Amino acid sequence: MWSLSSITDIVQTWLGSTFNPTIALLLQFVMAGLLVITLFAVLGLVLVFMERKVSAYMQVRIGPNRVGPRGYLQTAADTLKLLMKEGLVPAGADKFLFNLAPYVVMISAMLLMAPIAFAKDFQMWDLNIGVLYVSSVSSIAVIGILMAGWSSNNKYSLLGAMRSGAQIVSYELSAGLSIISIVILVGSLKISDIIASQQDGWWIFKGHIPAIIAFVIFLIAVTAETNRAPFDLAEAESELTAGFHTEYSGMRFALFFLAEYANIFIVCAIGATLFLGGWMPFHIGNLQAFNHIMDYIPSSIWFFGKTFFLIFVIMWFRWTFPRLRIDQLLNLEWKYLLPISMFNVLLVTIMAIMKWHF
Amino acid sequence: MNDFLTLMQSELALTLILFILLIVKIGSEKMSNKSLLGFINVMLIINLLIGISSLWMQRPGGTLFSGMFITNSLILFEKNILNLGILIISLSAFDWLKNHKHLTEFFMLLIACVIGMFFMISSGNFLIFYLSLELATIPLAAMCNYDMDKRISSEAAMKMIMSSAFSSGILLFGISMMYGTTGTISFTELPQLLDGSPLQIFAFILLFTGFAFKLSVVPFHLWTADVYEGAPVAVTSFLSVISKGSIVFIFITTLYNAFRYYADLWYNVLFLSAVITMTLGNFFALRQQNMKRFLAFSSIAQVGFILIGISGSSSLGTTSAVYFILIYVFSNLGAFGVVQMISSLTGKERIDDYKGLYKTNPFLTWILTLSLFSLAGIPPTAGFFGKLFLLTAGASQGNYVLITIAALNMIISLYYYLKVVRAMFMDANENPVERIKGSTPANAALIICAIGIVVVGLISSIYDYINNIANFGF
Amino acid sequence: MEAKEIIFYLLAALTLGSGLLAVTARKIFRAAIFLLFSLIGIAGFYFWLQYEFIAAVQIVVYVGGIVVLIIFSIFLTQQAGTDLPNPPLRRIIFSALAALFGLIFSWMLISQHPFKPGAESPVAVSVANIGSMMLNVNDTGYALPFELVSILLLAAMVGCIVIAIKSRTETAN
Repeated sequence: MWSLSSITDIVQTWLGSTFNPTIALLLQFVMAGLLVITLFAVLGLVLVFMERKVSAYMQVRIGPNRVGPRGYLQTAADTLKLLMKEGLVPAGADKFLFNLAPYVVMISAMLLMAPIAFAKDFQMWDLNIGVLYVSSVSSIAVIGILMAGWSSNNKYSLLGAMRSGAQIVSYELSAGLSIISIVILVGSLKISDIIASQQDGWWIFKGHIPAIIAFVIFLIAVTAETNRAPFDLAEAESELTAGFHTEYSGMRFALFFLAEYANIFIVCAIGATLFLGGWMPFHIGNLQAFNHIMDYIPSSIWFFGKTFFLIFVIMWFRWTFPRLRIDQLLNLEWKYLLPISMFNVLLVTIMAIMKWHF
Repeated sequence: MNDFLTLMQSELALTLILFILLIVKIGSEKMSNKSLLGFINVMLIINLLIGISSLWMQRPGGTLFSGMFITNSLILFEKNILNLGILIISLSAFDWLKNHKHLTEFFMLLIACVIGMFFMISSGNFLIFYLSLELATIPLAAMCNYDMDKRISSEAAMKMIMSSAFSSGILLFGISMMYGTTGTISFTELPQLLDGSPLQIFAFILLFTGFAFKLSVVPFHLWTADVYEGAPVAVTSFLSVISKGSIVFIFITTLYNAFRYYADLWYNVLFLSAVITMTLGNFFALRQQNMKRFLAFSSIAQVGFILIGISGSSSLGTTSAVYFILIYVFSNLGAFGVVQMISSLTGKERIDDYKGLYKTNPFLTWILTLSLFSLAGIPPTAGFFGKLFLLTAGASQGNYVLITIAALNMIISLYYYLKVVRAMFMDANENPVERIKGSTPANAALIICAIGIVVVGLISSIYDYINNIANFGF
Repeated sequence: MEAKEIIFYLLAALTLGSGLLAVTARKIFRAAIFLLFSLIGIAGFYFWLQYEFIAAVQIVVYVGGIVVLIIFSIFLTQQAGTDLPNPPLRRIIFSALAALFGLIFSWMLISQHPFKPGAESPVAVSVANIGSMMLNVNDTGYALPFELVSILLLAAMVGCIVIAIKSRTETAN
C-alpha cells in the first residue's frame, strides 16, 4: 500500500544515490522548506474558511457564499486582495524591525513543524527532546510580536504587544506543565515514543482524571498562547483597534494572519499527539478485531482528523465566550491554572510511580 | 547519609535557619521587630555554639559528591570565623534594623550569602566554586539596596551587581579556558594536568583577575569605595569583613593546592599587586572625609597586607592569613559597629563629625580607638600580631623589598588612623555628636569586639591551634 | 566544504555579527534584538553539536525568559525610543582597539595551543540521564549544585521582591 513514508523513502534513496551528501542535504532542506510553505498556504486558506463557516454556524448565518461554489473560493479571493494591497510603513517606525517582525513570527511557526509527526513514519526531525523543542521554539514568536508592537511607533501596538507578551509568557507555564504530565507518563520527550506509548489506548483515556485535567488546562493555555478569543486582549478590537498589528497592511499583515492560524494548527497537532495519540488509530486494549478495522484508516487521516477536531473546539471557544479583562486573565493563570496544574503534575507522578494507569 | 549530616553540618544549620526565617516571614506578620531580632540572634548564637562544639570534637574531614565538597578542620574553623562575624554584625545592626520594614528578608539574604560562602570555601571544583560565588554575591547586591529610600543605596547596589557581573564574566572566561586546556574542573585533578602553556597562563591570569575583583585588589578596586559608601553600614561591614574573608580563604586554597604549579608566576603577581594595593589604598584613605569611605580604603590597604601573607606560600601563609582574618573580624567590625551606631542614631558619617566624640561618648570612643589601633597594628592589640605574622610569612620567601614597602605603608596607615583618634580625643567641636545610648545587643557586640581585639593577640594558643590545623590541612 | 562546515560558519557569522551589532546599535531595543539573535546562534551551535537538550534550554531560558524580560524593561522605561548619545570618538577608537587586541591576543593563544582530544568517546546525553544525575544524591550525583542553584534562586527572588515591593505607607499617601 502506498503510504507517505514510502514516498519519502524513495526520494531519500534517490537523492542519496544521485548527489553527493552535501547537495543532497541542501536539496532536502529546500524540499522540506517548500513543503512547509505549501502546507502553510493551504492551512491558511482552509482554516480561515473554516473559521468563517464555524462562526456563521454558531450565529445561525450562512457565512461566505458568493465567491465560487458555496463560497469555497472566498479565502483565495481574500488572499489575492491582501497580496495586491500596498504595504505601508508608518512614519517614525523602526523600518528594519518593522519589516523583520512578521518573518520572525512566521519562521518560528515554520520551525515548529519539524518534530510533528503527520503520519506513520512521516516526520521531518524526530529529535530526542521533541516536546521540549516545541515549547522552547514557540517562545521565539513572542519576540516577533514584541518587535512588531514596538517598531510600529503606535501606542495601541505597544500596549497590544505588552499584553500579548505577558499573556504568552504566563500561559506557557501551565501549557508546559500539562505537557510535562504526559511526558511523566511516557518517560520520554521524543514525539515518536509518545505516540508509540499510545498503541493500546490514548493518554486521555489511559491517564484517568489527571490526564483529562491536563488536557483541559492544555486547551485553555494554548488558546491563550495563540492570542485567540476569549484571550484575544492583544488585539482586542474594541480597545486597541488591532493590537500589535494595527499598523501592518498588505503582505506583512497576511504573514501575521497566516502565522496565527499556523500556530493554532501546531498547538492542536501537539495536543492531538500528546493526548489523542497523534496518528495512532483508535485502539481499545486487546480487542484485536476492532483494532484491525481501525488500522485500515490511513494514519494521516487519523492525525488530521484529531487535529481539526481540536481546532474546531478552539474556534468553538472563540464564538462562545466573552473576552476576559487583563487582570482576570492573569488571575486565571497565576491563581487557578498554575496551582491546579502543579498539583496535577504531582498526581500524575504518583500515578506513574504506582503504575495506576492502564 | 550520616556523612551528610556531619560533613555539611555548618551549611545545613544555616539552611535550616534560612527556612525557619522563610516560614516565620510567611506565618507571622504581627511579630515585632525587636522580638524577631532577638529570635534571630539566639538562632545565630546557637549556630555558632554548634559550630564551635564541632570544632571541639575534632571531627575528621572528608569529601562528598566525589570531591565536589571538601571539608577539614581548617575549613571548619574558617566557617566558624564567618559565623562569628555574622553574629557580631547582626548584634550591632540592632539599632538600624529594629525599625526596618523588611527585617526577615535582610537575614534571609544575609544567610543565603553566607551559605554561598561556606560552599565556596568547601568547593572542590570550579562548578561549585562558581555557583557558590554567585550565591555569595547576588543577595549582597540586594542587601546593598537596603536603605530603601536612599538613592545612593540603590546606586551602590547597581554598581555592585554590575562590577560583580563583569568580574564573573572574566572568571568564567578563565574557567572555560582552564577547562579547555586541561579537560577537568576538579581542583584535585588540576595540578597534574597543568603544563604551563601560554593559553593556560592566560586562563590563570583571568582567574586571578576574577579573584582580584572580589578582593578589591588595585587596580580592580574602583567599585569598592562607592559601594561601601552607599550601602547601609551593616552591609558595608559584611562586605569588607565576611565577604573579603571568605574570598581570601578560597583564594589561598586554590593558589596553594590547585595552582601550585604556577607558584613562581603568582608569587610575582601577588608581590606587585600587594605593593600597589597597599600603597594606593593608603594614599586614598588619607584623603577621605567620610568615615565609611575611609574604612573602605583602609580595608583595601589591609587586603594588600593579606596578599603579602599569602605570598608566603607555605602553611605559615595559610596560618597567618586565617589568623589575621580572625583579628580583622573583631577590629573592623568593632570600628564599623561604632560607625553604625552613630550613623543610625544621629545620621552623622563624616570624620569631622567625630571631633570631640570623647567628651560625649567615651565608651564608643574607646572602642573605636581600640579597633583603629588594631587595624593600624599598634603593639598591645591583636592587630599587631596579625600583621607581624603576615609579614613573617611574607619574609619567609626572602623578599625584603616587599617587607620594607609594607613597613613604610604601616607608618602611613598609622598616620591616618591616628588622625581619627586625635579628632575624637583632642579636637574641639561646637556641635559634637550628642550623647547616644545604643541598645544592649549593639553594645554587647562592641564589647565582644573589644575583648576579641585584646584577647586573641595575647593568647598564643589560638595561633598555635590554627597553625596545627593548617598543617593538617596541607 | 562539507555541509556541516558550511552550517558552522553560517552559525558563527550569525552569532558574531549580531553580537557586534548588539554592541554598536544606537537604539537600545535594537541592541536587545541583536542580542537575541546572537543567543539563538549559540543555541544553533548546541543543535549543531547534537546537544539538543542544552540547545532547548538555551532557547527557553535566554529567548523566552531573559530577552523577554529585557524587552519588557525597555518598554517600561521612558525614552526607550530615543537614540543613545553618540560616544566620543576617542572612546570609540580606544574601545575598538581594546576589543581588537583582546580578539587577536586570545585568537593567537588559542590557535597556538595544541588541544588534545579527550580520551573518552563522546556520550549521547539523554534527557532521562540528565534528570537522574541532577537529582542523584549518591557520590556521583549532581544534587549539590542543583540545590545550590535553588537556594540562589530563592535568595534572588527574595531580593527582587524586597527591592521592588511597594511599601504600604507609600500607597496610603
